[in-house]
This record gives sequence, C-alpha cells and structure tokens, in this order.
Amino acid sequence: MVVWLLVGASSASAQEKSGVKPGFTLTPGSAHIVLIRPSIQVGAQSTAGMFEPNADWTAQARDALGAALRTAERRLGNDVTDYVEPVGADAARLAEYQALFDTVAASVIEYQFFVGNRLPTKKRKDQFAWSLGPEVATLPGLAGADYALFVSTEDHFGSTGRKVLQIFAALARVPVTAGVHRGFAGLVDLRTGDLVWLNADWQMGGDVRDAAGAEKRVRQLLAGFPGKPAAAP
Amino acid sequence: MRRLIAAALIVSTATAASDPVLPPYVPAYQPTDVDERGAWMIADEEERRLRDAPEVIRDPALNAFVRDVLCRTVGADRCAAIRLYIVRIPAFNATTYPNGMMTVWTGALLRLHSEAELGAMLGHEFGHFELRHTVASFRHRRSGNALLAWASILGGGFALQVATIGGFYRFDRAQEKAADLLGLRYLAASSYPASAAADIWVRAMAETDASAIGRYRKPDQRYTAGFFATHPTDLTRATYLRAAAAAIGVHGADEAARYRAAVAPWLPRLLADQIKRNDFGGSEYLLAQLAADGWTTPLLFARGELYRERGNPRDLVSAAGFYRDAIGRGDAPPEAYRGLGLALLRGNQAEPGKAALRDYLRRKPDAGDAPLISTLIAS
Repeated sequence: MVVWLLVGASSASAQEKSGVKPGFTLTPGSAHIVLIRPSIQVGAQSTAGMFEPNADWTAQARDALGAALRTAERRLGNDVTDYVEPVGADAARLAEYQALFDTVAASVIEYQFFVGNRLPTKKRKDQFAWSLGPEVATLPGLAGADYALFVSTEDHFGSTGRKVLQIFAALARVPVTAGVHRGFAGLVDLRTGDLVWLNADWQMGGDVRDAAGAEKRVRQLLAGFPGKPAAAP
Repeated sequence: MRRLIAAALIVSTATAASDPVLPPYVPAYQPTDVDERGAWMIADEEERRLRDAPEVIRDPALNAFVRDVLCRTVGADRCAAIRLYIVRIPAFNATTYPNGMMTVWTGALLRLHSEAELGAMLGHEFGHFELRHTVASFRHRRSGNALLAWASILGGGFALQVATIGGFYRFDRAQEKAADLLGLRYLAASSYPASAAADIWVRAMAETDASAIGRYRKPDQRYTAGFFATHPTDLTRATYLRAAAAAIGVHGADEAARYRAAVAPWLPRLLADQIKRNDFGGSEYLLAQLAADGWTTPLLFARGELYRERGNPRDLVSAAGFYRDAIGRGDAPPEAYRGLGLALLRGNQAEPGKAALRDYLRRKPDAGDAPLISTLIAS
C-alpha cells in the first residue's frame, strides 16, 4: 500500500508515441478544425503523491493552452475554432462522443502504443485503424468543419514536501517520482469518424501555467501532427 | 489541524440532539482557500459531465417532487444552494459534492416509503454539504498519507501505519455520524417526524439479511463497524438515530401516500431495474415491503418476472400465477402476457403458452422482440 503510494505512476511507463492512419496527410491551409473543449486538470502533488486540484492553475492553463493551440495551428496553415457547445438533447450526445473518444484514445495507448501489448490486428506499423463511427458528423455545429481536435492534459506539480521526500528517499534507495505530466491529443475525421492521428505522452515538458510553457507543451502535443511543415520550430 | 477538525465534529455532535434551533446558514458560500477551490473545481467538472449524462432522469414532475421534499426538510434558504440530479442506478445511495451538486439514486426512491424518509436521506446529504466534509476529509487524508510516506522511508514501524490508516476510516465514520445528527435537526425543524431516519436503516438491515439468505449465505448483519468501514453499521445508525429522535419528540406527518403517488409512474421502471440485479432474496423482501397495503399490478408483474428469472420449475408455476393475477386486475402491461407465455412454454404447456404469446403480439405488434416471439409461436 505504502510502496504503491510512493511510486504512484511507475517511471518506466510509455514514452511519447503517436500514430497516424496510413496514407493520411493534411495539406496545410486546407482544413477547418474544431477544437472540442479540452479536458485540463492542473494541481499539486502532495508529499505522499495525492493529487491536490488547483483551480487557479487550471484556469491559467486553460487560457494559455487555448492561445498556444490556436497559434500553433495558424502556423500550420489550418484554422481552428472553438466548438460551441450545444444545449439540451444534443449536449447529451456530445457528452457521449467525448466519453467515446476518451475510451478509444485510452485503447489506442493501451493496445497499440505498448509494443508488448499489441492486439493481433494492430501489430504492424501501418495498422492504425480506429473510429468513432460516421454519426459523429451529425453533431450540431460541425457543419463545414473537416476535423475535430480533442486535447486532454493532466499535470500534478510536485510540492516542496514531495521534493524533500524524494531527496530523502533517494538516500534510502527508494525511487520516488515528483510530478505527473500526462497529455494526449487526437484528430478525428468528421466525414468518416475515423481517428486519423493520436499523440500521447506520459512524461511531458512545459509548465502549462504560463504562455511560454504552454507553447512548449502544445509543440509536444502536436508532435507528429500530419501535414506539419518541416520548418516548424 | 486534525485535532481542530475532530474538536469541531465533537462540538457539532454534542449540540446536535439537544438544540432544536438550526445553526445559522450562510447562503451563496464561496470557497476561499486553495484546497477547497480545487475541490469545487473538480466537482464543477464532474457536474458538467453529469448534467449531460444519459443516466440522469430528467422527468420534471419527479425532479420537482424530490426538490420540494428537500426544500421542506432543510428550509428554502438552504435548498437554494443545491442542484439535484436523479441518477438511474438501482442501488440505495445518494451523494453530495462540495459545490452543492447532489445525486439521488433511483434505488433509493424504490426503497423509501414516505416523504419523511426521503427528507431524512436528503437532510443527511445536506449535512455533509453544510459541514463541508469533502474538504475536511481530503486534508485529513493528505496529512495522514504524508506521515505514512515519511514513516516508510525513515522507518515508522507497522503500528504507526495501522494507526494512521485506521484513523482515515474512523474520521469517515465520525463524519457520517455528524451528518446523520445534523440531518435529524433539519427534520426536527421541518414538518416531518424525526423517527423516519431510523426506520430506513432497520429496513436496510432486513434487506441485506434477505439478500444473503437468498444467496444461501449466513445472514451476518455486522453489529460492529469493521476496521475499513467508511460508515457506521446500519444497527449503530438505527440505534443512535432512534435515541436522538426520541429526544426530539413526535411531531408532523410522514406523508407516505403523497410519496407513493409521486413515485407511482416510475415504479414499473424502478422495479425492472431492481429485478435485473439478480438478487432474489433482496428483491422478494422489497416487493413484500412495497405490497404491505396489498399487491398492485406493477408489483405482481415484477414478482412474476423475478420468479421467472430464477427459473426453477416450481418458480415457473409461481410466476405464471403472478402473471395471471396481474392480468386479472385488468390493467396489466402487454409484457405480462409475454411473461405468462414464456413461463408456460418452459413449463411444457405449449398451447396455453402460445396463446398468451399471441395475446402479447396482438397488444404490442411493434414490440422489439416480436420476430423472436413469432418464431416461438410458430415452432
């Protein structure tokens, strides 16, 4: 129990991974992308590794990441607009699609990005085939949009107590990690519902609470984004 | 810090039963410190999800009824802070979030018998909200965990770990008791009798026992809270609630008839969900409780389904009897004919079974399982 508390997420977990649907490229300047409300959680990590949600940091991250995403996509030549959330019955359908995307993304990370854990049909490089189903196009407010971009990040900044504990634990030869920085981003083709690109990283960089850090984080989130010009910084 | 909270809890419990006047309430409370605002943020995100979730029952009449009972229990100024969501989960529970979101599960609506009992449950949940238990519990857990983390590195010994972990659960149980007693004070100040709170737990114990017997287990209703129990035992709760209610005295009416009338349109659906739990003993006990004033059509139909689901040969005979009783009352749903037909077919009474299935299709030609039933009739 205590060891689990300390180690929390094991440090040897998945490295950055991204998958692209075979044959998919996004020609710059052609796509209208809708950004679904990102799921962003920022907080501190207590001495024992508990997540302490922090409302201010989360609000800052929401603003900074939103601005950085728009800048990055403009540089790629695509226009990104925030998705206007529907109300009533349509809101319930949107909620189901968000849950579906989270589940599909988690499945991709679990069953395709870990080499030793691949499903029989996902063994080779060119077998990236996941879909949310074509009905996703019937969600309201997506008329004229080509793709939907889903972004999700979770950050636990190690508290002072956690860092002090880390030092003492290192003396006692106990590995303790400070901080959790996870994120994934995915692009869904709204005509077919197919997941055309997914990028997940369980150890991300960039302090999402300020503009410069958020820009770095978005660069990592969009690493391997299809149709990215080579000259992007 | 922990001592402060514990002291506050003791103060609140000590004054609970003796003082009929409710503590002063601050409306539109806004969280100020970092932990509490973080907890509210998480709760707000959860509420965004729940607001659009498919499992929430949005029927205006039922929502208005439950909300009305809450307001009559805790008073108009307090209930303005609460958003109620009725969630379709067939278990006996309700939850509170620090930001004033409250969920009531449909399993609770099936098990409660009167407005007073619903008020008692909602009052308990509001007690958690007013005493801001989520944040207190979070801090308590954080400091305890930090102690454990240091102890594991610097060597604190097993006894310290056990004491700390036990402390988490003791703290949870103390919070539950505090919420229970504050809930009683709401009842005392409302138009509902305070004795309703204890009745809930007496029936919950009986249902647990019936459920155990139905699964061929020993009904070992726990009489002492285990080390890892997050709530006091049902017996403990029934006992102290009964004593505190006796101190308050008898007043008001429990409005059982009004409660039954409000839940009646939903009863068939609630019963169908309960039958799917595959808990013969518990469901049979619940049906008997609900049928205290006589067996109505939905209850008879549900009992037929319950017996047909268990499916021993003798159960099929009983089930056919219950379906026939329901049909005899004249307002049975078409599904009663289907149940009767299937029970008779399995009981090797082919012709009457097929006749009942034909009745079902005549009454509900567009039923989802019509093709399947047609093949049974043709076979």
